[in-house]
Amino acid sequence: MNQTIIVKVENLQITYPHCHAVDNISFSVHSKEIVAVIGQNGAGKTSTVECIEGLRKPDSGLIHVFGKDPWLCRSEVYKEMGVQLQEAQYPSKIKVEELCQLFASFYERAADWNTLLVQLGLDEKRKQMVQKLSGGEKQRLSILLSLMGRPKLLILDELTTGLDPEVRATMWCSFENIRDNGVSIIMVSHYMDEVETLADKILYLEKGKQCFFGTQKEFRAYAKLRIGKEEWDDRLSLEKLYLMMTPKTSTLTMEGIL
Amino acid sequence: MKRFFVICKMILRLFLRDFYSFFFTLAFPVFLLFLFGSIYGNAPIDHETAFGIMDISVPAYSVMVIGVNGLMSLPLTLSGFKEKKIYKRFDATPVGKKQILWAQVCIHVMMTLIGIAILLLLGFLYYHIQIKGSFLSICIGILVSIAALFSIGFLFTAVGHDLKSTSILCYSFYFIMLFLSGATMPDTLFPEPLKTISNLLPMTYAVDLMQGLFLKDSLFQCGMEISVLVILTVISTVIGACLYRKKDWT
Repeated sequence: MNQTIIVKVENLQITYPHCHAVDNISFSVHSKEIVAVIGQNGAGKTSTVECIEGLRKPDSGLIHVFGKDPWLCRSEVYKEMGVQLQEAQYPSKIKVEELCQLFASFYERAADWNTLLVQLGLDEKRKQMVQKLSGGEKQRLSILLSLMGRPKLLILDELTTGLDPEVRATMWCSFENIRDNGVSIIMVSHYMDEVETLADKILYLEKGKQCFFGTQKEFRAYAKLRIGKEEWDDRLSLEKLYLMMTPKTSTLTMEGIL
Repeated sequence: MKRFFVICKMILRLFLRDFYSFFFTLAFPVFLLFLFGSIYGNAPIDHETAFGIMDISVPAYSVMVIGVNGLMSLPLTLSGFKEKKIYKRFDATPVGKKQILWAQVCIHVMMTLIGIAILLLLGFLYYHIQIKGSFLSICIGILVSIAALFSIGFLFTAVGHDLKSTSILCYSFYFIMLFLSGATMPDTLFPEPLKTISNLLPMTYAVDLMQGLFLKDSLFQCGMEISVLVILTVISTVIGACLYRKKDWT
């Protein structure tokens, strides 16, 4: 398959005062591809995608998005890239439709946000202040705004956090459709069912280091090596595999509470 | 340009929906005008100059409008946007945070000018206040005062590392300046130690400048006040910009 490279990351390094947040990561994202970035908290997932988003300057390494450096050509890159950030908020005293109008004004060929409001179940909330929306509604609004510029690359940091199971399933379908229509997606997720359903490739990070990058099939082979043949079962779900692979965190016991 | 206009419209909406910004810019100075106007009136206080209390107070209230926007509303808005990572979200669009920042400055300057215009209009209508200075020199005086007090507010935002610390800086400096600069009560009534403190406050120079330009002086006669305010503008902007660059906006 002859696919165009949309994102290219080579030897990415990000250092914080006391640690290497990201250490020598390299991968690429092709057109019509969904890449899931997985790993435990503090593994460097958000730092990595923030460099691709041009919001964080890497200490070293090369990042190209549509052939351009996102840190230096941010406004150019954002004409074709949409993002949903993990923590960012919106002005609280603004109505949903006003925020949509504002974001639509940022793009030359903005999406039909009225239709998106209906499709995302936010039509009845259009006159409501953003601060009055529930967590799930805010998340859906955030997804809507990421689609506003009809992007060719979408970066979704914790896409379905806070959404109920029905909406999550609908979102998965929507993003498969979006991918099939030529959009590349980088998604950061802690939900392995989501990764298993959507991801064409997986980037697995552990304490800032790249442990694996490849297809789901290759990831299973990699997991088999790490877990060992004794515990291996072909029927294991991705979530189970992930739990067996990742370093264990200590368990909360009643001893510390009582 | 059309995009900037849409952003300004959004920032204006947010300004008008924020009770404190709206009240202290447009309503509170008018309240003071009528409160002190009804108490003192605007009869001449001495025969030499023939100026009344309101003639002297209205220019000072104008500085209060500049102060509330420059030292309170704008820095707290910037700090709130930063803390909630709203700028970061706008940075993740083709527009970036700079246009949002400029729109915020423009709207606050515009609302300051509207606040001053309402104050002057009501002063004219109800107390027949006198303005002896030229229109041009008064406009320059207003812009110099805006530049100085807004740049100090910008410095507060740069120094405070979150909304809470910026609020402490803004509230404490604004209220000290409000009461000790002559903006609400004439500094001629102050005892000597308070006068010394008053002379150290930037807003005092803005009040003196505005009163001078409204009542009699030309720009050249207010050289000292203008110089102090311009120097403060430069220093605050340079230090503020340096501190901002070092800050992590994300």
